[in-house]
Amino acid sequence: MTASGLSRATSALLLTTCLGASQLVACGGDDGVPERSSEIATESAARRLSNVELDNTLRDLLGDDTKAASRTLVSDQYSPYDNDVALQAPSEALITSLEIMAGDVADRLTADDERMQSILGCTPTGADDTACLRTFVESWVPIALRRPLEDGEADLYLGLQSFATEANPYVDNGFSTAVNLIVRAVLQQPEFLYRIESGTKTNDKGVLALDDWQVASRLSYLLWGTMPDQALREDAAAGRLTTATTRYEVAERMMTDERAKLQMRRFHAMWLGHRILPQPAELVNAFSMETGALIDRVIFDEPQSYYNMLTMPETYLDNDLADHYGLPRPEGGEGWVTYEGPPRAGILSHGSVLASFAKFADTSPTQRGILIRTRLMCDKIDPPPPTLNVDSPPGNAEATCKYDRYAQHREVTSCAACHSEMDPIGFGLENFDMQGRYREHDDGLPECIIDGQGSVPGVGEFSGPKELAETLIESGRLEACIMKNFYQFTIGREIDEVEQPVVDELLEQFRAEGRDMRALMLSFISSDRFALRREFQGTEQVAP
Amino acid sequence: MKKLSRRALLRGIGGAAVALPVLECMLGKHGEKLATANDSGLPQRYALLFAGQALGGDNYDKTSSRIAGENIQEGNHFIAPTAIGQDYEVTTPLVPLQERDLLGDVSVVTNMAIPFNTTNGDGSAVPAGGAYRDFHGGGCSPLLSGTRSTSAGFTCNGPTSDQVIAEMCAGDTVHRHLVMRAQVPFYLTGYDHSGRQYISYEGAGNGGRIEAQTSPRNAYMSLFGNFVPPDDEEAQAVLDFQLRSRRSVLDLVKGSRQKLTQSASRYDKERLERHFDEIRDLEIRLGAEPPVVGGECHKLDDPGPDPSIGADNTGAGSNDITSASTGYSDEHIRARTMCDLMHMAFVCDLTRVSTLQITAFQSHMSALPPSQQQGYEFHADVHELGHNGDVNNRGQKAVSIMLQWHISHYAYLLEKFKNTPEGNGTMLDNCVAVFANEAGHGRQLNDATSENQTHSVENMAMLVGGRAGGLTPGSHIRTNRAHPAQCLTSAMRAVGYTGDALGEVTGILPELFES
Repeated sequence: MTASGLSRATSALLLTTCLGASQLVACGGDDGVPERSSEIATESAARRLSNVELDNTLRDLLGDDTKAASRTLVSDQYSPYDNDVALQAPSEALITSLEIMAGDVADRLTADDERMQSILGCTPTGADDTACLRTFVESWVPIALRRPLEDGEADLYLGLQSFATEANPYVDNGFSTAVNLIVRAVLQQPEFLYRIESGTKTNDKGVLALDDWQVASRLSYLLWGTMPDQALREDAAAGRLTTATTRYEVAERMMTDERAKLQMRRFHAMWLGHRILPQPAELVNAFSMETGALIDRVIFDEPQSYYNMLTMPETYLDNDLADHYGLPRPEGGEGWVTYEGPPRAGILSHGSVLASFAKFADTSPTQRGILIRTRLMCDKIDPPPPTLNVDSPPGNAEATCKYDRYAQHREVTSCAACHSEMDPIGFGLENFDMQGRYREHDDGLPECIIDGQGSVPGVGEFSGPKELAETLIESGRLEACIMKNFYQFTIGREIDEVEQPVVDELLEQFRAEGRDMRALMLSFISSDRFALRREFQGTEQVAP
Repeated sequence: MKKLSRRALLRGIGGAAVALPVLECMLGKHGEKLATANDSGLPQRYALLFAGQALGGDNYDKTSSRIAGENIQEGNHFIAPTAIGQDYEVTTPLVPLQERDLLGDVSVVTNMAIPFNTTNGDGSAVPAGGAYRDFHGGGCSPLLSGTRSTSAGFTCNGPTSDQVIAEMCAGDTVHRHLVMRAQVPFYLTGYDHSGRQYISYEGAGNGGRIEAQTSPRNAYMSLFGNFVPPDDEEAQAVLDFQLRSRRSVLDLVKGSRQKLTQSASRYDKERLERHFDEIRDLEIRLGAEPPVVGGECHKLDDPGPDPSIGADNTGAGSNDITSASTGYSDEHIRARTMCDLMHMAFVCDLTRVSTLQITAFQSHMSALPPSQQQGYEFHADVHELGHNGDVNNRGQKAVSIMLQWHISHYAYLLEKFKNTPEGNGTMLDNCVAVFANEAGHGRQLNDATSENQTHSVENMAMLVGGRAGGLTPGSHIRTNRAHPAQCLTSAMRAVGYTGDALGEVTGILPELFES
């Protein structure tokens, strides 16, 4: 569905040749080979796998689905994404816990004959079966390290076999001892724990070209949040990932995998702040089903303008959730239901979004305003002045109705200066409570009628999620903010101001693709940028 | 610097409960004895426990509360007793000390305050050792490091008291310090700790933060994984095999250091070097000879898997928490286990410095399960309890009940010290354990005007337990607005610190050492 009618692969190539920020890209050097400007490469640092990525990787590498990293390692910090390289400093607590976790994972593996056999690739004849151990090391370690072994590297691991063969009456050692120790070692290798991108020098100063294996890791951790699978490894081995056109095809294939859907759901949950919701589990699960179905549909199942994520006139429900919202039940007990009644549309009508950013036991017009301004318009909202106690509900506590309690935010000049940028947005959503249900009046107060009128300052007035979505689209700010968040998630750190042209470039491509997110991701992945890097110059940042 | 192996000495005497050799920690770099250390020859230990809550509730004075829907006027709930000296009345937060017969082992230090500029809120106008006028972050640095804060962020601008001691004792024990936190998640949907999870800093700023171990099991494995029963040849052999193999694994991993770091960019190189340094340190810890088990030093029972990590608070908001199973990861058990670990780590001289952050700054842990343990039903998180409470519970008593829960862990730890014979007395003679909490209750830091506020660095209190270095516990000491860092410096001096300042704050509280 590209706007230009060009094939996707062709239009993707344009992104970093001549179509994009043309001032940044020199096309056609003296010798006919395109010159690369350094601006076409993004700075990257060694990113440690987030706990979720590590858990996914242990699942796919060893069949260990115990979520050991999330349970026992130091928690990741969200900024709002869990992959911010600046917040990943190693610590004694982390290294201690990693060593214990690696031991636990290895012990679970070698206590499970079937699972161990599945990764061995041979049947050992005894503790001293070096050939079988070599087979295991040479086949499994490269999978784990996400690159081929170097000459002699396997021998380092084989040295651990001495513990398998040691004559020791006190320990029950054997072939599996060697497997156990090798697994422990690999799981603690920085090359396993981090995605260390080196790259080779190009003609452009400071620009480094990634090899196929490093590109494979970029692909799998971006699209799936986990390690490359066998097909992707075969692509890397065949050199298909450093070429844009084949990389495009590979990414297309990867997007048909269920893990791609889960990854985009996870991205949205972090971005829009509903990765954990303060609601009962059954309701959270229902919200998750609803929002997941919309993301799947708009991005993967029926690729279409991303704007439809916010304007979709129907939603995916089961009977319970339909009853909860007061919407018609779906045919067959689960399915798409067309909105009727109050002005709902798209993801902003979902309980997942409406339940987040609450405060003081109710929806918070201010917090909802912050959500929209910071996450969907990418505005920076200054923190409240220190003299303000934000831990007490606003305004006149004697007023019965919420709108009146917020009068101070509107009428006191010093308050209004900031709150006029946030509260009017939230008040436009006030007819929808913090479980996403429609309400005519404040909870328990029939005399406090909610008029539901709001506005996006400087853009226009609206009432309800449907009109808010239309207003945001009309503002022209939404699409740039979507790109900015996608890019931040992709590179695993905050975007520096000087990198704005890259976001602009993505935006131009997004528009050219009819705002089809899947197409945009494919374009980005098949752009030269995806296989290049520059060394990260940043410093540790303050936690958000 | 290779020091004389203490264990070699112990071996020569058979590994039973014996007086340990002269504490190296008490010696200056040239072997001279430090002035304030005692002469017992036993290790002197420093512990700090922290609660992320205030001492009172917003807009409720110290005698006003609302409990179970009833407004009440009652004294004796605010932590500071009315009487000073030894015969003071036991206030609500101090009940756990009384229940464990510890009142004579703890000094209650009250009426402390952190200075702030009442007329100018700029970062540049903060006085030495003072607070930037934005609670919560503004209180962190002066409280824990005696160094002024200049912004709202949760960071310390100098090393914290525990790390000054850790540096002083560096190399004397296998573990330089034991830094733990019981509260794991932040529990407030949409947000994250963002610095509220640190109370130990080895240097100024975010780079100086020390990540706490939050897994009781990992802390246990790290401390006691290499303990074996004495005279059990088989267990010794099994352990020897395990440790050798684990070290070989780490050795193999370390082998990639040069290859990975030599070609790395500056940023990656720093990151990877730090990672490898930590692996090296871990290998050293694994390679250290296990303590000789005997006397009071023994291997604790394995605490088993960690309690599961709870989801964010459920309810209509932070003051209407509906479920006792969210906003909570059984911090009660976690804190208790961590106290067990700290105690035995001290007994076995695995470390001499430990911090336990029971709850994070501005804690959003649910107050419901802890309050239920004490016969109440607070449907609010800890932070909200101080501000608005829930519909039926707020004010002084509600806050004090929550503080009582925090202090119950402190009392549990002190009782363990007290019940552990050491030298001619008990471990309490060779320990100082400080309990600190985040805020006082008084004039608001932010507006410098409102009274009876939780966002206050006035009317602050600390508990100082133990008799190390000549401490004379058992009294209520009402200071004249002493700086909390002076209380910490006093505790530091009790274990051999010879300085007279922490950060920018000079002076101690001599009453802590007076009989």
